[in-house]
Amino acid sequence: MSCEDYRQLITGYVDDELSVADRERLESHLRACDACRRELDELAAFKEHLTMIKFKEPSDAELERYWSRIYNRLERGLGWILFSLGAIVVLCWAAFEAIEEVIKDPGISLVLKVGVVSLIVGGVVLFVSIVRERLTIRKTDKYSREVER
Amino acid sequence: MDEPDEALIRRCQAGDTEAFGLLVKRYAGRATGLAMVLVGNYSDALDVSQEAFVRAWRHVRKFRGDSSFFAWYSSILRKVALTWLGRRHRRKETEPVEACPVPAPGADPAVLAEDNEQTERLWQAILRLATKHREIIVLSHFENLSYKEIAGVLEIPIGTVMSRLHAARQALRKELSDERP
Repeated sequence: MSCEDYRQLITGYVDDELSVADRERLESHLRACDACRRELDELAAFKEHLTMIKFKEPSDAELERYWSRIYNRLERGLGWILFSLGAIVVLCWAAFEAIEEVIKDPGISLVLKVGVVSLIVGGVVLFVSIVRERLTIRKTDKYSREVER
Repeated sequence: MDEPDEALIRRCQAGDTEAFGLLVKRYAGRATGLAMVLVGNYSDALDVSQEAFVRAWRHVRKFRGDSSFFAWYSSILRKVALTWLGRRHRRKETEPVEACPVPAPGADPAVLAEDNEQTERLWQAILRLATKHREIIVLSHFENLSYKEIAGVLEIPIGTVMSRLHAARQALRKELSDERP
């Protein structure tokens, strides 16, 4: 192994992430290599230097604002689900009623009846197709798969 | 005493938004800092980190506790940020996604706990790094994630975490030494 290979191990060493075998291999190399020992000291000092950076804790008022924006979106999400469910029920009922009315009305010509029924059935097929597509996307959505940890 | 994450997550999984609010407030600062590193400016960082919390809430039942809550959240945040950068890239097609814009010094509200000349210099050097180096430095040094957790967030093998972190530290040291008069 070259010194450059050992330097990658030094990264793991200062983070205490090496396996026992790698640690022993590196420690044995460090006893014989001044340059890598210097690198270890420099990297440890550099790591310490980086600890001076910490993210600011927001004030209570900032946290409240931050959370209320998220909460509003969670609440709106529930609102959209209920609204969509209600819209589906009302639309289905209206479509069914409309078809029934059109078919039963003797004053409407057969061509117009076929046209209206096609329009309504076509709308329902399109709607179902979109819902099915959304559900398929949801199943293969990277967020859904990758959040299972 | 503060309720531990595990207990709050269990409450979230039972649909308790109040518990989720406590988790959000616990990690909002770190989440905004990480988002800032990924998307480059404070107001986008707020949007992206909040969107990631909304997604985390939607999927919280799938969280099995194999990593810390923040490591799990970070992986969601990173995907939201990458999607957001992709959209911005499509809007400005000349700009490569990897070359995430760096905020102008002082242009955004401070995200650092201690804001002095030394920390500012270090922070700006980090922001000048390539995205893959910038994010691994932040996940390792500021978020204190283990290699296993970083591997999960970045979706790379643990061995690659060590080599990428090595390269990132070298790049940052070079960036800082080049700056010196």
